[in-house]
Amino acid sequence: MQLEEIKKLADLARIDMSEEEMKEIAKDFDSILAYVGQVQEVKLISARQGLDEGLDEKKPEDYFLHNVMREDIVTNKKGEYTEKILKDAPDTQDGFLKVKQIL
Amino acid sequence: MKINLKELTIEKAHESLKNSEYTVTNLVNEYLKVIKEKNREINAYIEIYDNVLEQTKKAEKMFKNGTATLMTGIPIAIKDNILFEGHIASASSKILKNYTATYDSFVVKKLKEQGVVFLGRTNMDEFAMGSSTETSAYGVTRNPLNTSRVPGGSSGGSVSAIAMNGALVALGSDTGGSIRQPASFCGIVGLKPSYGTVSRFGIISMGSSLDQVGPLGKTVRDTEILFNAINTYDEKDSTSIKKENRLKSLPLKKKIGVPRSFLSGDGTDPEITKNFEENCKKLEKAGYEIVDVSLPLIKYSLAVYYIICPAEISSNLARYDGIRYGLHSDEQKLYDVYTKSRRKGFGKEVRRRILLGTYILSHGYYDAYYNTAIKVRESIKEEFTKAFLNVDAIITPTSPYMPFKFGEKLEDPVSMYLSDLFSVPANIVGIPAISIPSGKNKNGLPFGLHIMAPFLREDILFTIGKDFEKLAPNEI
Repeated sequence: MQLEEIKKLADLARIDMSEEEMKEIAKDFDSILAYVGQVQEVKLISARQGLDEGLDEKKPEDYFLHNVMREDIVTNKKGEYTEKILKDAPDTQDGFLKVKQIL
Repeated sequence: MKINLKELTIEKAHESLKNSEYTVTNLVNEYLKVIKEKNREINAYIEIYDNVLEQTKKAEKMFKNGTATLMTGIPIAIKDNILFEGHIASASSKILKNYTATYDSFVVKKLKEQGVVFLGRTNMDEFAMGSSTETSAYGVTRNPLNTSRVPGGSSGGSVSAIAMNGALVALGSDTGGSIRQPASFCGIVGLKPSYGTVSRFGIISMGSSLDQVGPLGKTVRDTEILFNAINTYDEKDSTSIKKENRLKSLPLKKKIGVPRSFLSGDGTDPEITKNFEENCKKLEKAGYEIVDVSLPLIKYSLAVYYIICPAEISSNLARYDGIRYGLHSDEQKLYDVYTKSRRKGFGKEVRRRILLGTYILSHGYYDAYYNTAIKVRESIKEEFTKAFLNVDAIITPTSPYMPFKFGEKLEDPVSMYLSDLFSVPANIVGIPAISIPSGKNKNGLPFGLHIMAPFLREDILFTIGKDFEKLAPNEI
């Protein structure tokens, strides 16, 4: 893989990287992509093929794929968790997170 | 007060606590003594919690007022990616070095109710990315059975804590083998439950469609007890299985499948193959019929995994921005705050996987990798469903490698990834799987037997596991 491509990925992923590391990653990617590229050689069997013989077998996701809904109402008191959560923040002011100017 | 920690199980400890042979304080102090003595070398724990005494007192009260359960007073270690309110949870990463959990994970909440004593948080590969616990930002963990070897990973700290008798049981997490492979490397039992059985609420995410929390212990029964204590529906995890959909145990066919063609590939240590054949004979002796099962696509599981998992990692780890919590690099521009915080906070393997996932999901490559992988994943699931029509379980070795030396595989990612060859399919399919000790080689390094069962059939793993345990008693 080309170094330029790695630079683009590092930018997209918002990670600052040394040139040296990017070169190393470019090399690693060649072997990793060669390995995972195997999936492209799989001839996919048609969905549920051969599973019809008297089978009422559920798929795993049939058990857990359901929507979790609740009423759209406020369930906590105003500011109940603010202090606790902001304690983990690196920079705050007046109960808000402080960020750099973006415009 | 001297308690034989090596032979101790949850049920034995419970009996003794109930009959006042010793108190929870006595028991916890025995473990703390061992930790003090051994943790400097092994580095299983990153931190011993400052409120152990308080937890101990609460458990003792439960024994006094008759509300104690099997888990009350049991000293347990938890992996550093499990949130425990008021305590640091860092996923063994620099980026979360000072992150204090603002709430309890579901598993911690459940165990707290039962008066479990959390001793501390254990070392792991950074964000659970690794198979040796070498990628932790807090130093390597050593295998208590042979300190020149890795304990496996990513739950290497939790496993070592038990193997050095520094905890009775522990919780780990398993995305591609991170409970089972280290359990095998350190000679203990580790269960990855079915996807959706144990809530992921409050677990630091890696690959959300693969992650599952599970128990580690010295015996099958101990992992079963701990599993039962956390195996309930949680409305806060949208993939948690509702109570009415959870199965009850059913009778067994007493038939076990072996995917021979998958196992015959080179790359598996010949010692492991030999041990595996002996394990098959033992199971036959226990009354199980061993048959060949055909799983032609199983060999693609690891490739599927290393597409889906990095893809999920790249989106899950986007939350670490240096602004809301975690490591913050103070820069002039916002863009630099992001990029520098993430450079300083993430280790090498984490950076590599984020970039890999970014590539896999990027325009132009998405179809070739991610889309193909999720289709192959579906086909592998079907293949397993079909195979389970004829057998109760499918067995393999837990890992193709024996516990390896430090640094041996760190520079070769594909070789490191291959240590999960046999454990990854269970995560791809979502089925439960367990690793059980199956003896040691002449150098004292342990082997592991890996058993997979149909979705939600943990009961099969416990039944076969206990039968096997009788024939292959474990010694740590």
